[in-house]
Amino acid sequence: MVDTKLSRRGFIKASAATAALASAGTVGFNEWSSEYVKAGANAEIKEIPSTCNACSSKCGMIGHVKNGRLWKLTGHPDHPYSKGKLCARGHGYATVVYSQDRLTQPLKRVGEKKFEPITWEQAYKEIAEKLNKIIKEHGPQSVALTEDPRASGKFYSPRFINALGSSNYYTHHVVCSNSRDAGFLHTVGVTATSADISNAKYIMFIGRSYGDGIRPSSVQALASAKDNGAKIVIVDPRLNNTGNLATEWLAIRPGTDLALVLAMSHVLIKENLHDIEFIKNYTIGFEEYAKELKKYTPEWAEKITGLPADAITRISMDMGKAKPKALIEQSWRGAFGCNYENSTETGRAVAMFNALLGNYQQKGGSIFGGKPSLGKLNKEKHPNPKEPEAPKAGSKEFPIAYPNNGVATIVAKEALEGKMKAAIYYHSNAALGYGNPKVMKEALSKMDLVVAIDVQMSETAQLAHYVLPEVTYIERDEVIEGLSGKIPGIAFRQQMVEKVHPETKPIHEIYTELAKVCGVGQYFNFSLDELNEAMLAPTGITYKQLREKGTIMFPNEEITLGKMKELKTPSGKVEFYSETYKEAGFKPIVEWIEPKVSPADDSFRLITGKQAIHSHTQTANIPILMQITKDYDLERIWINPIRAKALGIKDGDMVELKSSEATSKIRVKLTERIHPEAIFVPSHYGITSKDLKTGQGIGFGYMEHVPFDFEKWSGAGNIHEVIVKVRKVNG
Amino acid sequence: MARYGMVIDTRKCVGCYACRVSCQMQNELPVEESYIKFYEKETGVFPNVKNEIIPVQCQHCEDAPCVSVCPTKATYTTKEGIVLVDADKCIGCKYCMVACHYGARTQDHNTGVVEKCRFCAELVAEGKQPACVSTCISNARIFGDLDDPNSEVSKAIVKMNAQPLRPDLGKAKIYYVR
Ligand code: SF4
Ligand code: SF4
Ligand code: SF4
Repeated sequence: MVDTKLSRRGFIKASAATAALASAGTVGFNEWSSEYVKAGANAEIKEIPSTCNACSSKCGMIGHVKNGRLWKLTGHPDHPYSKGKLCARGHGYATVVYSQDRLTQPLKRVGEKKFEPITWEQAYKEIAEKLNKIIKEHGPQSVALTEDPRASGKFYSPRFINALGSSNYYTHHVVCSNSRDAGFLHTVGVTATSADISNAKYIMFIGRSYGDGIRPSSVQALASAKDNGAKIVIVDPRLNNTGNLATEWLAIRPGTDLALVLAMSHVLIKENLHDIEFIKNYTIGFEEYAKELKKYTPEWAEKITGLPADAITRISMDMGKAKPKALIEQSWRGAFGCNYENSTETGRAVAMFNALLGNYQQKGGSIFGGKPSLGKLNKEKHPNPKEPEAPKAGSKEFPIAYPNNGVATIVAKEALEGKMKAAIYYHSNAALGYGNPKVMKEALSKMDLVVAIDVQMSETAQLAHYVLPEVTYIERDEVIEGLSGKIPGIAFRQQMVEKVHPETKPIHEIYTELAKVCGVGQYFNFSLDELNEAMLAPTGITYKQLREKGTIMFPNEEITLGKMKELKTPSGKVEFYSETYKEAGFKPIVEWIEPKVSPADDSFRLITGKQAIHSHTQTANIPILMQITKDYDLERIWINPIRAKALGIKDGDMVELKSSEATSKIRVKLTERIHPEAIFVPSHYGITSKDLKTGQGIGFGYMEHVPFDFEKWSGAGNIHEVIVKVRKVNG
Repeated sequence: MARYGMVIDTRKCVGCYACRVSCQMQNELPVEESYIKFYEKETGVFPNVKNEIIPVQCQHCEDAPCVSVCPTKATYTTKEGIVLVDADKCIGCKYCMVACHYGARTQDHNTGVVEKCRFCAELVAEGKQPACVSTCISNARIFGDLDDPNSEVSKAIVKMNAQPLRPDLGKAKIYYVR
């Protein structure tokens, strides 16, 4: 952690003159500061721009490196996500570079959770031999690679698995935004729009909380929308931490967001508040859709959602009047990323509601961002691997899922069926986070080869045959990242400090070297610098300039609002009616779908969500962040006092929480901020790996209670389809 | 001469702890030690509930009780109104911790020195904003010169009628909007 030798006291003591001034009594700040500035000259402080890795936003940041050691971070002022600020995770996660629990050498498993260090050569050789043998015996489709993508991974990981002849590349979205992505994709042609929050007059969030799942610039935008008098409505079974910036909280019954959106759409059309011009020019299938919507009245929705019909009508009408500067924010994992059996359909209904408002590509509405045009490697010199012929495993079962995400848990399913033989996990704790850990463990144990590439001994790494230690993001350069948005740009992650552990390697090096030993090195015959230079070529920016600036935006390429482009849907328009759905055997028009399970009078639905200080379980082992959890008992579950009283449970009590899958013990936070039907558990805890000493044993992992399942449309994990009972216990 | 102060707008604070962590890193604090504490105030009954988050740190009081009780004059107020602790003089007697109305002081377990928010004197000396202010993700914090009526902080105090957390406990230099 922080170097105590260079403490703030060290700072002051560095100047004897300062001490002398201080002992003279009350010191003028000006005298003090001029002495301080002189004293500061002793420490060499470098400011190195790079990008954060504490969440998928990858904000631009500036590392302040004091005498070769990372001291602190500040937000990159030019980066569109940080805008000069970083969240708590962004500041704190960087300390992973000095973590006591880092992986420092390649490891080979020699028994249950027993590992011995091996050399890189041995690791590459044995992994390559096994991979080649599996491919020879079972074909390339018996091998899969899964990651939580970052810039280098996005380029190298699919290339690596394709080079082996397999199309099985997967991302973490199966427990993130697979549902939303699929719903949006088949309605507006992209998996997500962005929201022009600061110009909006009426904003609705469904399960999405800017104050908990933070991107600093989004919170700033929302705060300024509030300053400008925007109406901000939060739809969530719990009053999340964005509540302070909201004007209204709709405490919806969990799992019923689709009913709300359908009824709101009904009201817009019934009251003639939909954008008829937009619908005529840019959509298909409106008539059929409008007909279907007739039955979804606010009164119907009131019975399902528990929200007053009046409120539904009022809000829909106000949004209709504020259009096009009104929107339902596109969300991320929120309430319909991967949560319920009806989540993909909720995503679709939301994209359609925004179309009714005609807010696409309008100021204060939903935006299709522009992408920077970046170069590529010369294909003659650096051939791409052949496109694998066989389709990705899972694409037949889930044809609606966004192909680039895939359905990552299909790897586990096929492993259990004996079809999947090898899996590589990079920057991914799939065994703990993607599906029920018991099932995931069984699945991983069935495979002939599991390789984990990580910076710490995750639960997935514990189950791997080989563990390859990566350098942290503080110690590596990466592939340049293109930023799409109203103004496109590029951001670059670069090395800030020397490698702390000499036997760790950056991911591009690991893939390049492993590919060579696997016999497919011809697809990796370039250096990272060559790749980045090729990407930069059309921009006219030099690599040196990018290293100095870190983030560079292209204001000349700003997109023009007010103009709709042809969409990437089959019809080129917003699709109220989807042929793709029909062909896949689904109803082409959105309709109400019940959640899979419903709590009874004596049980609850277990729901989960983010806290501002953590990212998945990735930050649970970071002392400076976990200390906040400890100081404020943030691992507790939330229960509404009415329900707790009936069960004889008081604030702070220990309870036993039981589902069809597991039993956990946990303390309770009583709060009026939660729907009586739900229990909320933050999604960041329940580390079981004993090598993660800070995180282990705090809270429980909600995934332990989630049955291993696939949502019918997008294959997402249905992580809120869980019923639990609680009872007070001692402890 | 400048007299520094801050506004914290609790109507904007989302309780994200970014200020706490950036402060710890700026000041190279051990993980257990923090200059900013958070209080939550929930009011109402489901579903008509409000939740207020109040970040509290050293309020840089005028006539600060911690300064008057310090037997070694380790705690002192600069001419600009910043209350600072001279680590070399602190004997760890904790009188100041008892005297502080806001529980703003913490003791370093390794050295015994008592510490607290120092308005990021190093950064301010370089003309920069304190770490907690520059990183505040919802712009809930504003820092500047209270004596300059045109400073952002002075204007915010007037416009939003910001008040010290406990006006009854004497004048302070952090003003809250609630
Ligand atoms: S939102 Fe926070 S964690 Fe995510 S990239 Fe930005 S600073 Fe890092
Ligand atoms: S002003 Fe500086 S020392 Fe005080 S709380 Fe903010 S960051 Fe910490
Ligand atoms: S950074 Fe700002 S919004 Fe976050 S807890 Fe601190 S004061 Fe509140």
